[in-house]
Amino acid sequence: MSQIDNREVVKSQEAAAAGRAQTAVRFDVPVIVNEQRCITGCRVCIDSCPVDCLAVNPETGKAHMRFDECWYCLACETDCPKDAIVVKIPYLVR
Amino acid sequence: MQDELFEADIVVIGGGSAGSTAAIRAKELNPKAKVLLLEKAHIKRSGAIAIGMDGLNNAVIPGHATPEQYVKEITMANDGIVDQAAVLAYAQNSFAMIQKLDSWGVKFQKTETGDFDVKKVHHNGNYVLPMPEGYDLKKILARRIKRALVQVSNRIMATRIVVEGGRVVGVLGLDTREGHLHVIRCKAVILCCGASGRLGLPASGYLFGTYENPSNAGDGYSMAYQAGAELTGIECFQINPLIKDYNGPACAYVTGPFGGHTVNAHGHRFIESDYWSGRMMLEFYRELHSANGPVYLKLDHLAPETISEIEGVLHKTERPSRGRFHLGREQSYGSDPVEMHISEIGLCCGHSASGVWVSERGETSVPGLYAAGDMACVPHNYLLGALVYGQICAENASQYMSELGSEAVPEEAIESERRRIFAPLQRPNGIPAHQYEYKVRRLVNDYLQPPKTEVRMETGLKHFMRAKEELDELGASSPHDLMRVMECHFIRDCAEMAARASLFRKESRWGLYHYRLDYPELDNQDWFCHVNLKKDATGQMVAFKRPVAPYLVSLDAAELSSYHHIRVPNAENQRISASL
Repeated sequence: MSQIDNREVVKSQEAAAAGRAQTAVRFDVPVIVNEQRCITGCRVCIDSCPVDCLAVNPETGKAHMRFDECWYCLACETDCPKDAIVVKIPYLVR
Repeated sequence: MQDELFEADIVVIGGGSAGSTAAIRAKELNPKAKVLLLEKAHIKRSGAIAIGMDGLNNAVIPGHATPEQYVKEITMANDGIVDQAAVLAYAQNSFAMIQKLDSWGVKFQKTETGDFDVKKVHHNGNYVLPMPEGYDLKKILARRIKRALVQVSNRIMATRIVVEGGRVVGVLGLDTREGHLHVIRCKAVILCCGASGRLGLPASGYLFGTYENPSNAGDGYSMAYQAGAELTGIECFQINPLIKDYNGPACAYVTGPFGGHTVNAHGHRFIESDYWSGRMMLEFYRELHSANGPVYLKLDHLAPETISEIEGVLHKTERPSRGRFHLGREQSYGSDPVEMHISEIGLCCGHSASGVWVSERGETSVPGLYAAGDMACVPHNYLLGALVYGQICAENASQYMSELGSEAVPEEAIESERRRIFAPLQRPNGIPAHQYEYKVRRLVNDYLQPPKTEVRMETGLKHFMRAKEELDELGASSPHDLMRVMECHFIRDCAEMAARASLFRKESRWGLYHYRLDYPELDNQDWFCHVNLKKDATGQMVAFKRPVAPYLVSLDAAELSSYHHIRVPNAENQRISASL
């Protein structure tokens, strides 16, 4: 019994002093960009987003949702000159 | 990285409704003045009205209402705790602002004879002016800002107001795209940063699924506090009746005039007025948590063409993704009642009365610092109040700064803010901002959401003080991350303010907004006063009483309590609530 308690005390102290480890999490995101229609170099939707969650995808040169931080306000969808964006209601909400 | 250095006469922080009219007015008054507008987002889509607004909730239009009637209505709606001079200054300038917007091309609903088509939603008077084409509003304001030659810096997040020698001398901020520190030397600052909308956590758990535009994270509340300004009514939370799971209002203001109304699960009406007061929210809360719950917005009794008209407004302007939400759940207004719920808590003066203490001139308690819009305490001020007070602040700030020289921003203030903003870059593996934010906001829900009690709020406060230490553990690896970390500072400051102000006021007032189970009664003997907060000389947050200034428009006792009688005096309702 006392052995287990001692181990718990040691582990608690170790946990308090431990460093950090990270993991990557996948998110289903609400803003969907049609890359065929999206104009390379156009940043209209990126400028429109009130929470700055869109960015140019360096791999494709097209806009994409980089951060799962959407107010589903449709500013990007409304302002896109090529009708290349559709916004879904985020999964947690819909 | 090189700092970006600027100099301006007036800096407007936030380019939403209030910030737009503040910047435009400052240039109108003095075209030579250097007016710099800092916007965290981009002015074409920012602030509470990023997408548009369905209508004006508090239009004071001759022939429909007088400024004095309006002052009375708001005094009643806010249980007497108002600075009437500030409310009156709004009401007297309300119609002129509507005319100005009308001349700018903002489309208001008018009758066949060309009169403004005012509707009744409030308990007593007529103040609601629909704007079915309100989606153009922000674009029109942004165009006016450009035409006025205001200097605009988009994607710049102000983080500190620098006060030196008892007055404002500058602003420090972060370029959220490039990661530069912005150092701005100026004579006056007008804070227009909107509500503290990321305080409580929506029931969905989605951090950005807030009622308020989530870019309004309480930045202005925190910056004003840290600059030494007083805040007031913070315990009078913002809580709104919303569509269950969706962050849009249900929305009685739009549907009420068409015949829509709130009902309980039995289909019975239980509130007489759908106007968003704390008393109404308390009845809503009680019904929701009783055997009569949940609560619904009832529209399915209306004619199909009326429903189409309602959808035309609700699904296009203020919350255009609302139709998509209902379709996804295979529901429609014509055949299904709309399930409603109550929002997460926030701080806001547009809807409630929690904000920075301001005079009828828009002045805060720090010389050279002005505040307008949702963050400045002129109760129930809404969109039109933001537009009017933006102008009022610009007028007084222009006068204030006209005889002042500009002072240098002290080097130590710049260096200390540089350390605060960029420290998380030294910890790329530190706690991510979104995890920190989730935890603080979840604790806000657990400990501050009404009904409130002493022990629960004290426990919450301990968590928020612990969270203050944890700010030093946050990590970032991009300018975007740094923005979110700085927002964690703002959110935590607001949580501490919300706890301390709520603990201080030992009574219940404003219905649900400050409903304390341990002090359930309204106590005018001891608490007919404002509760203000500020940072004292030792850096501690202190709460204290401020007397309510003598009324300019008097009310008798019956009038003062008229918002207390919101529940429908229906036999069925009374029988059910008596049995609970």
